[in-house]
Amino acid sequence: MFSPTSKITTAQATIIIINYMLAAGVLTLPRTVTEQTQSPDGWISVLLGGVLAVIAGMIIAKLSQQYPKETFYEYSRHIVGKWLGHLISIVFITYFLALGAFEVRVMSEIVDFFLLEGTPSWAIIMTVLWIGLYSITQGLDPIARLFEMIFPITVIIFLTIALMSLGIFEINNLRPVLGDGIMPVLRGVKTTNLSFTCSEIMFILVAFMKKPKNAVKAVVIGTGVVTSFYMITMIMVIGALSVEGVVTRTWPGLDLMRSFEIPGLIFERFESFLLVIWIMQLFATFIITFYAASLGVSQVFKKKPLSCMFGLLPVIYILSCMPKNENDVFILGDTVSHIALYIFGALPILLLVISKWRKRGEK
Amino acid sequence: MMRWRNNQYKTQKQHKSDYSTAEKQDQDVLTGNIGYDLEHVKRKIGHNGDVHFRELEITQLHVKAALIFVEGLSDQDLINKGLSVLVMNQPNQVSDEISQSGKGILTSKQIKNQIVSIGDVIDSEKISDIVLNVFMGSTALLIDGIPQAFLLGTVKKQNRSIEEPLSEALVRGPRTGFTEELSTNTALLRQQGKNDQLTLQRFEVGTRLKKDLIIAYMNDIADPKVVEEVRKRVRGIEIDHLPESGYVEQLIEDNYLSPFPQVQSTERPDRVISGLMEGRVAILLDGTPFALIVPVTFSMMLQSPEDYYERWFPSSLIRLLRFIAAMITLFAPALYISFISFHPGLIPTKLAISISGTRQGVPFPSLIEALFMEVAIEILREAGLRLPKPIGPAIGIVGGLIIGEAAVQAGIVSPIMVIVVALTAISSFAIPHYSTGIALRMLRFGAMFCAAVFGLFGVIMYYLLLSSHVVKLKSFGVPYASPAVPYHLKDWKDFVIRMPLLVMKRRPKMMNTDNTKRVK
Repeated sequence: MFSPTSKITTAQATIIIINYMLAAGVLTLPRTVTEQTQSPDGWISVLLGGVLAVIAGMIIAKLSQQYPKETFYEYSRHIVGKWLGHLISIVFITYFLALGAFEVRVMSEIVDFFLLEGTPSWAIIMTVLWIGLYSITQGLDPIARLFEMIFPITVIIFLTIALMSLGIFEINNLRPVLGDGIMPVLRGVKTTNLSFTCSEIMFILVAFMKKPKNAVKAVVIGTGVVTSFYMITMIMVIGALSVEGVVTRTWPGLDLMRSFEIPGLIFERFESFLLVIWIMQLFATFIITFYAASLGVSQVFKKKPLSCMFGLLPVIYILSCMPKNENDVFILGDTVSHIALYIFGALPILLLVISKWRKRGEK
Repeated sequence: MMRWRNNQYKTQKQHKSDYSTAEKQDQDVLTGNIGYDLEHVKRKIGHNGDVHFRELEITQLHVKAALIFVEGLSDQDLINKGLSVLVMNQPNQVSDEISQSGKGILTSKQIKNQIVSIGDVIDSEKISDIVLNVFMGSTALLIDGIPQAFLLGTVKKQNRSIEEPLSEALVRGPRTGFTEELSTNTALLRQQGKNDQLTLQRFEVGTRLKKDLIIAYMNDIADPKVVEEVRKRVRGIEIDHLPESGYVEQLIEDNYLSPFPQVQSTERPDRVISGLMEGRVAILLDGTPFALIVPVTFSMMLQSPEDYYERWFPSSLIRLLRFIAAMITLFAPALYISFISFHPGLIPTKLAISISGTRQGVPFPSLIEALFMEVAIEILREAGLRLPKPIGPAIGIVGGLIIGEAAVQAGIVSPIMVIVVALTAISSFAIPHYSTGIALRMLRFGAMFCAAVFGLFGVIMYYLLLSSHVVKLKSFGVPYASPAVPYHLKDWKDFVIRMPLLVMKRRPKMMNTDNTKRVK
């Protein structure tokens, strides 16, 4: 089993959180939220969703801080006993596997749709899986550094294309603010949460931090950055495409990039850039779930990490091949997110209470 | 036997009766009988015609002596000068003293201190030792009656003068480069500035052909852990012969499966010293002008000493240019292939039309087209490199102009492909470190294949693969990708942009130096 030997800094932890959260949402969130709200106020929903995510992440971080240097898989047995702890760990592992498979599948779908028509999806999935395996073999520290490499590219490209789309931005599309009252916004919050339920990585991350005290800080900054990314996306997309335009498009984020051209530059269309960072972000989310799952297997079943990684490879492959079409993929994503919402919304509070109570009992 | 170890020996043959020489026949020790010893040494030397045996007589003492040296390896003048005392006819102080003390006794101490006027004298009684030293340029002096040979340090250094380094040309900067002579190189390092912290630790490497190797570091700056790691790895070298520091490089590098060079080689003393001042460790090997600097990071490979000699503004721009050149070297042909073969929709329509217009009549897919030109240009480069200097440029003209032009005319490749390939090649030459340029050019082919199979997605995946490899790589404990990752924001002053010298107040943090202040 791996003991957390290679430590990560607070900055690295923050970046892992950001890269983990930034995923499919950038492209689909505007649609899913606006479908619920039916008003241009989706960005308020995103903001509220971000606040909720920070709270959830803080609870998980607090819980993990109770047991320094131990991941959830190790400390769960201190709270609820060995068997129940293992059971919950296995649920977690399954969740991470499902999420990872979902990310890989979404990547293959989008690559098939936008870049490589007709390429068999197994070829794409295999490539992603093997490169993912290579990048996680040496533990969390290299993963963190890889994310540090991806992150600036993401920020630069994202902000550049967001600025460029200002040309077709119509502030009137965002008005009126709260015209339909607060209810549509709250309906949207539930959907945004699906994009934000990624604080669960703190169950594992805190154990690897050089300064576990800063875990809350990392959660707040990380979620804050992601929230602002999503808010910019929401505002730009709705501002450019209007509410009606957003609802009818599968990938409104990409369509935004397709809907304007800036002549005179080498590239007149910028969706290729968005695809680049987006594939990188999906890959990032995938490898961290893959790592979290194999860490779980190795710690619960006391096996060597490398063999766990190899062993989980076919599992992820089979899981990712299960959805039959694009709709199934989104249904899988929704299901995973819903489950996550229930598990990670309620469970940490419960565990935190139990662990506090136990510690008091010990004194 | 203790008697032989005494400092005092009788110069005459009295002892012959004490010990029979036959006893020592097969032993590796001198007997003191000059005739017999010479025979023995000659046998040991075997059929080596370049070894000279010069027998002479020390007139004052009437003692026979012999000199053994290798022609050309030993400095004849030095021998003559140093030994003139021995054979000169006029009486001198020593022989006076000896005569006065009577009994004609000559001690080895006297020989060392008074007769031989050469700086470096070692005494040895082992024949194998003598033979080894003679072959390395020493002159062995045997004196009858003394079962010891005096090895005189008469090594004549075969070296060239200090010249401007060929592989690292600068517009501005010192013109001195290392030579093949280790002592010259260490002297060049010492001459860079008065400092008592520069440590030059000597090692002997090579199991069969032994060579000196020197580890240089600043005692109060370098991280002791790094220095110890270098020592450990150098001691671990077990190979019979190291002809060049490239051997050392390959034997001490962290990951020999990686395509990236993990040791920096340089011919420039100024570069080595700047490295030492940043807390790095240099390795110098006898017989090569290339010194090695460790630990290195990838960004170092894109830097030139000139970045620091010129003012910061142009230097920063040039550095930026090099980073762009590195990216072009790696990805330009791959991006071309992926855009042309898979996603013509992603490039501007007019450009796409003009490219497909030029590609009309080209019978090959773009990968074959690119491979054809890339391989051609690599062959040209290699040919130009190995040919004698006057012919080299001619190859460039013949290859570059004629083949490029003819290939387009013949419709084998499209003109835009030629532009892409030429741009890539020139970009790779803009990288100051030769082996990094090669590494990037090599990796470029991988990118091209990925692009040919998966298009833009393949290029992204290839980038991710390379990144995951680079972030895992460490050079002597320092992450290879630093200072880019992990973020050392303070070190970014000297990364893509070279800030003014007064702003770079501290030594690189990634090197974990003992002493951090550079500017007060």
